[in-house]
Amino acid sequence: MVGAGTRGAGTLTRRGRPWFLIVPALAVVVVFFVLPYANLVAMSFLTPGKAEPYVSVPTLGNYTSALGDAFQWWILWRTLKLGFLTTLFTLLLGYPLAYNLARASSRTKGMLLVLLLSPLLVGVVIRSFGWMVLLADNGLINSVVKHWGLAPQGLKLMYNEFGVLVGTVHIYLPFMVLSLSGALQNIPPDLELAARSLGASSTMVFWRIVFPLSLPGIFAGCLLVFVLAVSSYVIPVLLGGFKVITTPLLVVQTAVDVHNWPSAAAQAVILFAASLACIGLYFRLMNRAMRGLSA
Amino acid sequence: MMRRRRLARAVFLTLIALLYGFLVAPIVIVVAASLNAGRFLVFPPAGLSLQWYVKLLNSEPFARSFFFSLRLAALTTIITTIIGTAAALYVVRHARRKDGLRMLLVAPLQLPGIMTSLALLIFYYAIGLGGTTYVGLLIGHVVVCTPYVFLTVAAVLYNFDRSLEEAARSLGAGSITTFRRITLPIIKGGVISGAVFSFITSFDQFPISLLLSGVGTTTLPIQVFDYLRFSFDPTAAAVGTVNILITLAVVLMTERLVGLESLYWGGRQ
Repeated sequence: MVGAGTRGAGTLTRRGRPWFLIVPALAVVVVFFVLPYANLVAMSFLTPGKAEPYVSVPTLGNYTSALGDAFQWWILWRTLKLGFLTTLFTLLLGYPLAYNLARASSRTKGMLLVLLLSPLLVGVVIRSFGWMVLLADNGLINSVVKHWGLAPQGLKLMYNEFGVLVGTVHIYLPFMVLSLSGALQNIPPDLELAARSLGASSTMVFWRIVFPLSLPGIFAGCLLVFVLAVSSYVIPVLLGGFKVITTPLLVVQTAVDVHNWPSAAAQAVILFAASLACIGLYFRLMNRAMRGLSA
Repeated sequence: MMRRRRLARAVFLTLIALLYGFLVAPIVIVVAASLNAGRFLVFPPAGLSLQWYVKLLNSEPFARSFFFSLRLAALTTIITTIIGTAAALYVVRHARRKDGLRMLLVAPLQLPGIMTSLALLIFYYAIGLGGTTYVGLLIGHVVVCTPYVFLTVAAVLYNFDRSLEEAARSLGAGSITTFRRITLPIIKGGVISGAVFSFITSFDQFPISLLLSGVGTTTLPIQVFDYLRFSFDPTAAAVGTVNILITLAVVLMTERLVGLESLYWGGRQ
């Protein structure tokens, strides 16, 4: 009996490894994720074609023309600015939410989680539509504002950078809250009570205890939101109405409408490089912040 | 002192309520707009009507893309649940380079969907698959949905007590019996959560579908997007409400089966 058992597949856990378990997922990720991205980078060094999307002649022309184009720089700047502002506002709005969530009793927590996660479970197109109904020139907010005579001309809330920012902040706020509440949850409440009992004011407890200990969560949340916001596509299209062009929009336009794959690939690589540069800068600032606290 | 603290607490809770209001506002508004009589939701309201639902039912493109999306999400979920669960079993229990494999498998979540979509489109062309085929679209969905299953199942497996399996084995159960009777029931919560995430992600998937879906393979989000790009039509609100109801049903079912907490923690670890 025992002999039969040791010959079974289960002993693979001790001797051989059951490769067959990992092969399908690994194959999918390597063939249809790693290779396509490698191909995209390679594409950025090829020559744009006339009839076809590209010609297999190596060139640096896509980069020199993209980097020499003031318009593209401006678009890139706007994209990074949008990413930065989204990160800032999700952090400011997300912190109280996360703190409240982390300190809630387990029954309330379930309910709060439903409220927090439910927007995540509704598609981005539908949510953008919700904002369109609210923010449009003849939308709900404007009709209220006009009804009460607050601004007879109405407010311009959509098809500008403000509208796009409202949309991105809304979409990425739950991600920030989840990152922050993870970190806040790990701070023992006793620590705050101890500080209070030793005479610290609540402001002091926050800045000297809670905030420093939540830095890893802030760090992770900001990184996540920045990366997601910089590359968002639907929000700028629907709430910006093609008036707020960002780099992802430009990349898709170049690839699909102009049918110039090498240029689109180069623009995408430049966006990645620019976000990496921002993240690198951010890591250095964050390191300094951490060191400043421990000193 | 006491009063000041109570006031501060009231202000804080009001702020929290306002923020949750901000979070659910667009969803509530979509439902309201779908039941609104007028073309625009205005103040004071124009009255109730089901006309946008009637219009939706009579709209052939919406119906077609709706059922197409359901089928695509179902197929995606079946594939990702199997390969994601298998991968999680391997990485947590057998892999030597756990971190490397883990990073590689969740990489599709880290890079922007729209860029992945573009990369796939160009890649399909290079390998001769053609730009917008059903298989290509399905593969794209599988790529971005597998990490969810992988993450949720891996989270459960990390807390798994292996001695249960060893006990079953030592009592003479074969490896398949052990998996079916011991392992699977214990990791069931993670597998279901992963499947739910995968289904919702596929059903609501936008960036991947944008570049990879074509004539005959139009998903619902793409259909709605095309609609909204050129006109402002409350039929989209009716679609959105149906979409919200489906999501709600799926989430409530999960809540009954495994509890929402596992969706949350499973999704993060």
